Amino acid sequence: MRALALSAAVACFAVSAAEPLPAAGAIRGRVDVRVGPSADVRPDPASLGMGVMRDAQDRRRSVVYLETAPRGAFEPPANRRARMDQRNERFIPHVLAITAGTWVDFPNGDRTYHNVFSLSKAKEFNLGRYAAGHSESIQFNQPGIVRVFCEIHSHMNAFILVFGHRFFALTDDEGRYRIDGVPPGTYTLVVWNEAIRGDAPKRTITIAEAGDVDAADFTIR
Amino acid sequence: MLHAQWLAACLFLQVLPAGPIETARGTVTISGEITATAGPKDETAFFNYTDYEHNALRMFRVSVSGMWRPSPRFAFLTEIRSEDLQSVIPYALYVRVRPWAERPFDVQAGRIPPVFGTFARRSYGADNPLIGFPLAYQYLTSLRPDAVPANADDLLIMRGRGWRSSYPVGNPIPAPGIPVVSAYRWDTGVEARYGAERLEAAVSVTSGTLSNPRVDDDNDGRQLAGRVAWHPVIGLTLGASGARGAFVDRAIVDAYEEKLGPQDYDQEAVGIDGEYSRGYWIVRGEAIFSRWTLPKINAPFIDHPVGARTGYVEGRYRFGPRLFGAVRVDGLSFTKITGQRLFGGRPTEWDATVSRIEAGGGVNIQRNLTARAVVQHNWRDGGRVKQRTYVSAQLSYWF
Repeated sequence: MRALALSAAVACFAVSAAEPLPAAGAIRGRVDVRVGPSADVRPDPASLGMGVMRDAQDRRRSVVYLETAPRGAFEPPANRRARMDQRNERFIPHVLAITAGTWVDFPNGDRTYHNVFSLSKAKEFNLGRYAAGHSESIQFNQPGIVRVFCEIHSHMNAFILVFGHRFFALTDDEGRYRIDGVPPGTYTLVVWNEAIRGDAPKRTITIAEAGDVDAADFTIR
Repeated sequence: MLHAQWLAACLFLQVLPAGPIETARGTVTISGEITATAGPKDETAFFNYTDYEHNALRMFRVSVSGMWRPSPRFAFLTEIRSEDLQSVIPYALYVRVRPWAERPFDVQAGRIPPVFGTFARRSYGADNPLIGFPLAYQYLTSLRPDAVPANADDLLIMRGRGWRSSYPVGNPIPAPGIPVVSAYRWDTGVEARYGAERLEAAVSVTSGTLSNPRVDDDNDGRQLAGRVAWHPVIGLTLGASGARGAFVDRAIVDAYEEKLGPQDYDQEAVGIDGEYSRGYWIVRGEAIFSRWTLPKINAPFIDHPVGARTGYVEGRYRFGPRLFGAVRVDGLSFTKITGQRLFGGRPTEWDATVSRIEAGGGVNIQRNLTARAVVQHNWRDGGRVKQRTYVSAQLSYWF
């Protein structure tokens, strides 16, 4: 459902690709995520010793985005790059938001093999096993949600949200976000968080004129 | 009807968790695995029967693992399993302690994982590239700990009949023999392990043996086992294992102690193992030599311990995010003994040599839902059925 919404965003902006962006405002707010962290570590009764006690995965990071992009939002895809590290058997960052066409590097910073893969509809890939100091890259062309895993370490997982437009923002440590450059108009603002089950929280928001800053807060339990 | 069952199975999968269940502020985690394996009945050759008398290529298996880790240095672990929905068996039930926080030294006590070799510690569906097990860890030889041959002919007549062997000494009821190393049961005792980045060493003292892991002790003997593993480079592991423990049931030992004098009737085993992986490849192999000392009761005597040599090499290649193919080549042979009535008095392997090749492939339908199909061919130098091919398919799910 959420992947469909992301796809819809791309479709909208593609239709109006040739029109220039008018003067813009901004949307800011806070996403309050009241969900406990999760380590995602399976019991390991077959192990001969204690595994490292993993820090619980912080699930407070959310992505806030416009469901449909403003008219004239088109930007020719540049050779953008992003990075998702593998460190201490974690993907860092745990949530990455990018625009379609972005290349993501997956450097291995651990002293063990990792095998990054995804079976998501938006991007299926398997980078194979590679050692510390090596990196592999993948280009994400299709909007959607890509769940990333390590084939060797079942507790390693991450999310890459691929958007067809640039009107999205990742929340900071305090849950705050800000989407700049939004042209005047009425939009549906959507929040994504991995803990959300069912429909994503939405809010209709209006940027009345250039320079206007509107606020929208969300709470996720 | 079939459509309704398929729909019910799909609905069942939808409500299953996608990852481990956490509770008590993350100190308790629960995971599970369900594997359904479909294959032909095999009531004549028994190449894939396990020591619980189930067929590894035709089995429904459910396992649930749990861990309570109240502190970084202390954990309780358990795994319970049920095969073909018959009985529920506590496969693992032990406590794990790290005495010093800064040292990678751990102690485990209870029903613990075996330190010998590698295969018995792999999780069933997720880590096994194929469906069948290596011969060393599954194939039933004709030996039994609770019944022994009185002479060499008693043992030779059981060649290729490990699925149900019987001997004149000890328990008179026919029962399955034992594999070289059991992957279907874990032993009970204490294990200590030191794990540095390049070198790992583990030793254990348990009540059973590799062939016959036990919860209760049947002979007042202890098995000492150990393994050293070296990781010279990332992706390569080389290991060596050894084990020695009292094998024969105490009732038999006591019955013949006066006649034969005090003796140790041990299983002794050494093994080497290796694993190399890179890119989309993973290759593993193990070689094991095991021998069992049996009582020399009557002529023609079983003069020396009876031995078994076994080894396998397996490889898996990923063709893409979802598809993979795998193959395993496997062999199990035995030392020779000399009887009088059988085989013209010529030295003959005490059990029938077995060879196996298994090849197949699979598809990851979801990350934690895998379908596999294999073809397995077996050759045996004895028994009622000398060779047989099996086709088997499996659906495995874990969370």
